[in-house]
Amino acid sequence: MTSPAGVPVPPAPRPPARGAWARVRHGALPFGSLLLALALWQLLAASGTWSETLVPPPARVWDAFVDVSTTHDGVRGYNGTYLIEHLGISLRRIAIGAGVGIALGVLFGLLMGTVGWMRSLFEPWITFLRTLPPLAYFSLLVIWLGIDEEPKVTLLAMAAFPPVAVSTTTAVAAVPTSLVEAARALGASRWDVVRDVVVPSALPETLTGVRLAVGVAYSSLVAAELVNGLPGIGGMVKDAANYNNTPVVLVGIIAIGVSGLIIDGLLLRLERAVVPWRGRA
Amino acid sequence: MSSRETTKTTEGLEGAGTTRAGSVRLDRITHRYGRGGEAFTAVGPVDLTIPAGEFLVLVGASGCGKSTLLRLIAGFEQPTQGSVRVSGSEPRPGRAAGVVFQTPRLFPWRTVRGNIDLALRYARVPRAQWSERRAELLARVGLEGTEKRRVWEISGGQRQRVAIARALAAENPLLLLDEPFAALDALTRERLQEDVRRVTDRTGRTTVFVTHSADEAVFLGSRVVVLTKGPGTVALDLPITLPRGDVDAEELRNSREFAELRGQVSHAVKAAAAA
Repeated sequence: MTSPAGVPVPPAPRPPARGAWARVRHGALPFGSLLLALALWQLLAASGTWSETLVPPPARVWDAFVDVSTTHDGVRGYNGTYLIEHLGISLRRIAIGAGVGIALGVLFGLLMGTVGWMRSLFEPWITFLRTLPPLAYFSLLVIWLGIDEEPKVTLLAMAAFPPVAVSTTTAVAAVPTSLVEAARALGASRWDVVRDVVVPSALPETLTGVRLAVGVAYSSLVAAELVNGLPGIGGMVKDAANYNNTPVVLVGIIAIGVSGLIIDGLLLRLERAVVPWRGRA
Repeated sequence: MSSRETTKTTEGLEGAGTTRAGSVRLDRITHRYGRGGEAFTAVGPVDLTIPAGEFLVLVGASGCGKSTLLRLIAGFEQPTQGSVRVSGSEPRPGRAAGVVFQTPRLFPWRTVRGNIDLALRYARVPRAQWSERRAELLARVGLEGTEKRRVWEISGGQRQRVAIARALAAENPLLLLDEPFAALDALTRERLQEDVRRVTDRTGRTTVFVTHSADEAVFLGSRVVVLTKGPGTVALDLPITLPRGDVDAEELRNSREFAELRGQVSHAVKAAAAA
């Protein structure tokens, strides 16, 4: 974020928020808060209030990060797998699970938003599912599906499904009649109206639902990898916790958080690219 | 193109009557909203015959049911009593007429070009002809070169022009416009009025135009019908004898005949609203 001369470089083409303040707000402020948090953490750890097992200093977490990312003393990463591989395996589970959940959510949302009795039929179940914490049904999934990939992916799908279904249903039900009528006046068939008016007009809210769903799936990751989660970032956190290996737990948490931020950022960019009319019409 | 051919054959078979393509026949229609004690009559009873090729303007104070009448002709609603015939048959939305609404109702997820193309697709125009037809339609409403623009990047007047081009895409023999210029500034409104007059004169299609402005009615119409208020019935049915075709719009608006006719319509609207 800084040029060779040490001058903060304003992040590229953001809408103008004017001069120096914009530079501070978009560049220095987030960076500064990160530095402050690290400093506080270091102070807290150095004060010796808690033992190193409970609050390891940043340097030890950094060491743990290097350990789990490299081969050292003949040990490859954590439990034979590098951090990036743990993360990759988990991301693959999220991609499959959330992908299935999102696809089903869009399908149910379209049906429930257009057909009244379908909404009455399914909405209570979806609300029921939505209020359950994923941990509550994970044990059941393990009993039914075993301990391999199936319960993990199913859990993530079940967690991702409700937000998309709910937001799509609401969006589809709220399609402006004025636009539906305009399409019909041009000679659109029922199917034309669904494809050319209902779907695009529900898209912004559906995408918000997708972002929520990915967030929910992300936050269920550790739960999904509680049983036989290695390799996998959630499994790594769980396993390290079993041995009171706090630095690795923190490395895992930070890896989950940072990758989550990146994915949300990508989804936000996707949203801007796909629905440029949002808030404009 | 095919719709024009159909028009010719129907003319040949049926001759000049109320079954001709683009003609409208309202037979003792009444329309009520709601049911039982809650019901109120919006329109009726109305008897109205609009021969093919006429430019009819419906005028009346707000709430007199003129929009309802237009929705009945478009086929969006069925009359509670009586019958509506467009080109000799019961109107169906998208088949009976091209419609321009009070607001442009463009699809924001599509560009100007995308909005027109959608209309061409619904009108079953072969894809190979799209670019030619699109250019022709945009030229007709004076919007050359805006194809790639997003609908929120163009002005309100331009948006309504796109809506008109879209409504013309199917080449329906009937065009319905529901107070399309009410939300525009005076200058843009006058220019669009002149354009609509020219476009419809040139193509000879039947047009039904709803407005509350006596000025607009006299300028546009070849016939003006004033509706009474709640429920709407015909209060005045006035042929407009002003010259059409290639005329100087400014001269027309300042002519004595124009002023006289406008006075007549304006008086009738006020009387109908008071009654």
